[in-house]
Amino acid sequence: MNRRRFLGTLGTLGAGAATLSLWPGISAAATGADTRLLVLLLRGGLDGLHALPPHGDPAYARLRGPLALAPDGAQAAWKLDGTFALHPQLAFAAQLYGRGEFMPVAAAAPPYWGRSHFDAQDCVENGTDAPHGAQSGWLNRAVAAMPGVEGLAVAAVMPLIMRGTASVETWSPPLPQHVDPVLLQRLEPLYGDDPHLAAAFAQALGNQGAGMDEAADAGMQMGETGMSMKPGAQAAASDDRMAAKALARGRLPALMKSAGGMMAAAGGARIAFVEDYGWDTHANQAAILVRKLKELDDAYSAFHDAIGPAWGKTVVVTVTEFGRTAAINGTGGTDHGTGAALFLAGGAVHGGRVGGQWPGMAPGELYQQRDIHATTDLRAVFKGVLAGHLGLSDAVLAEKVFPGSARLARYDGLLRA
Amino acid sequence: MNGASALTAGSALNRFGLGARAGEAAALGDPLAWLQQQARAPADAPQLAGLPRSVDYMAREADFLERRRKLKSDAATTAKDAPAAANDPQRTLYLDLFGEDLRREYLARWQIAAETNTPFAERLVRFWSNHFAVSTDKITAALYAAPLEREAIRPHVNGRFADLLLAVEAHPAMLRYLDQVRSIGPDSRAARYFALHQPEADEDMPPLRGLNENLAREILELHTLGAGSGYTQDDVTEFARALTGWSMPGPRQLQRGETFDSAYLYRPQAHQPGVRTILGKHYADEGEQQARAVLADLAVHPATAQHLALKLARHFVADEPSPELVRRMARAYLDSQGQLPALYQALLHAPEAWAPTARKFRTPQDFVVAGMRAGGVPVGPRPRAWEGVLVRLGQPTFQPRSPAGYSDIASDWIAPDALWKRVQVAEALSEHVPRQGLDPQALAHAVLGPRLDAQTQQALARAEAPQQAVAILFAAPAFQWRT
Repeated sequence: MNRRRFLGTLGTLGAGAATLSLWPGISAAATGADTRLLVLLLRGGLDGLHALPPHGDPAYARLRGPLALAPDGAQAAWKLDGTFALHPQLAFAAQLYGRGEFMPVAAAAPPYWGRSHFDAQDCVENGTDAPHGAQSGWLNRAVAAMPGVEGLAVAAVMPLIMRGTASVETWSPPLPQHVDPVLLQRLEPLYGDDPHLAAAFAQALGNQGAGMDEAADAGMQMGETGMSMKPGAQAAASDDRMAAKALARGRLPALMKSAGGMMAAAGGARIAFVEDYGWDTHANQAAILVRKLKELDDAYSAFHDAIGPAWGKTVVVTVTEFGRTAAINGTGGTDHGTGAALFLAGGAVHGGRVGGQWPGMAPGELYQQRDIHATTDLRAVFKGVLAGHLGLSDAVLAEKVFPGSARLARYDGLLRA
Repeated sequence: MNGASALTAGSALNRFGLGARAGEAAALGDPLAWLQQQARAPADAPQLAGLPRSVDYMAREADFLERRRKLKSDAATTAKDAPAAANDPQRTLYLDLFGEDLRREYLARWQIAAETNTPFAERLVRFWSNHFAVSTDKITAALYAAPLEREAIRPHVNGRFADLLLAVEAHPAMLRYLDQVRSIGPDSRAARYFALHQPEADEDMPPLRGLNENLAREILELHTLGAGSGYTQDDVTEFARALTGWSMPGPRQLQRGETFDSAYLYRPQAHQPGVRTILGKHYADEGEQQARAVLADLAVHPATAQHLALKLARHFVADEPSPELVRRMARAYLDSQGQLPALYQALLHAPEAWAPTARKFRTPQDFVVAGMRAGGVPVGPRPRAWEGVLVRLGQPTFQPRSPAGYSDIASDWIAPDALWKRVQVAEALSEHVPRQGLDPQALAHAVLGPRLDAQTQQALARAEAPQQAVAILFAAPAFQWRT
């Protein structure tokens, strides 16, 4: 059992504190320049109500039914304040929160509220108020505004957010060994209809878990049915083994560890981008997010350890393209929504609190009677980080990085003074 | 484009070509004319410009062997008992001398596959390359595998089969791979000489002992008549005798400073004297010409016509093509005195070739190439990465496990683990598809045309990101078939 798992499984504060004390938070202001920014985009629509459950909202438990999480009981969420908690798998994040190095912002969204994955991701990346509003990405334009700085995109091809005139390097690991479980889920019915391939494909899915004791030791939920397309509560053992294998191979921690390594040195990358997939949870959400949020938590931890002392002058911004419906749907999941949670992490973050304005979940408070009403424009947060952490001026932010956003105030106070 | 012609265009690009690229179907014009155009000229490719000739490799190989010998004797005197070095110096030397050339050879092949505008001609090149398979498993043939395709196959892919056959059998890759260079006539002058002067054993040049039937057998069984077509062991032995003398310059000749303008060398002193009888026909002893005459007859033998027609129909139409189609193709071939374009024309004009049921399962190489073409994936400078993908999928370039080449039958490629790896590769490939202007739904329509089924469309529509949609497209059953 590795250390990260140990922390994640037991959530022991003592052990966590020992890790954290290696890199005591040093404020960005204290170190002057050479600050670090990493943007992590979770594609597919992370359910903010699941990662950051508003346990104190009177409407939450009723709307969420079996998906609801509470800061007590057997699967206790990490209580942050009277309204919010963090998902039980976000143990490392909760410890960062305790140190004041983690800050969720509730009910945030890009200016596009149309619920299309592709358009919403485009809008998050291009930095304007609409999909296809620009051919370049706002993070590239931020790099361009900082002479001598080079960007890093942890991706095989340049993602829109890093596309543009500024110099950005792409890096990606060799062939991924894992298979995205959502991809398998989409493929299974297609193969089921091809008489020549159906049997072999079904067997392939069954074989994948053979001998996956290591994953079983890691304590995954054997009832996870994220990949099981069979109706009914009992998934076949083979599907469980496959789930186990996929779970053991999460790619995000490895990518974040690599990013941290490339940002650690004095001359390392200052502005980086990492992306992840698999957050679109229309069914079996509870089980899928146990796996995915564990990956996310491991990713924070791997990055923290890899970047070393530079953690103190780092901000990691984790965003998604939209939140999900306030109510659970008929398949144990949620559908495309609007307001979502975003997370700031890093030694330079003025955390230990939940940001944003909570609009509430009562019927009259929901957007179109179904989604969390977004009260924070993602760009306001980005502006706050770019201004306070990287020193970009309001004029540059309003004209170059987020064109047409002069009237959108930056979100201040995100960073340590 | 109406439904029928869209189907035809899709088949031209996917089943006869290497996989449709975005926009290609719409720009195709008449699919039949487009294919016929490609079956007329030698298959040339600018990506191959500047690559060394086999004869160049051969000269440098002699240099390599000399330097390796020195390395070995140094090692023997200085470090007899030392453990094996972490970096094998012989391997390092080989890579120093040939690594960059091998990279360029493989890179060019990948670039051609991904970029060609004549994908039917290129598929024919690959078909014949697999028909005349050599494998880099045979170390001594490894340098010449890519040149075999460039030098022997491409120039003749749309010409006479007899010319193709001759160019291949006299190529250093085949001479080495099937041990022809080691074959000498038992009654030749060389054999008599070696009986009196047994040369010192030498790893680079073991002593010649006599007849080697390997090439003769595989020419009959794989390259021309086909297994079970009626030739006997006597025919094999007689043909092997006729082939004696077909060889290459030896490393010592090159090290002595002799120069050659071809990597093929006929050695009259190794030739078995006498008349040969093969398939009931007598061939006078005209030295090198004896085996040439045999090859010329084999090329236009009815069994060869049947064998080639079956393999070609199997490659383009169905695993078990109709005997009637094969018979018609074989007839056209024989009527034309062994012209390959006649064989191709008979195929292209066959109704079976355009039947809705005609389809083939993509081999791993086809699958990866089709994904690269569909997604516009850049090949990049490192072919080794793509070769690694093919190794995992079980079809590395120029490395079949036998002289029969890679299988062309779906059941040999459809296995649980193989499909699983395809999904992994689909996902990896999708991550290399340029995202600018990427519209996966439109891309799926462009490359699959009317073969894009509703269920796959729905899966694409539900993807959570364009990259994932492309992964679904590449991994979908519809993409595994050449329809």
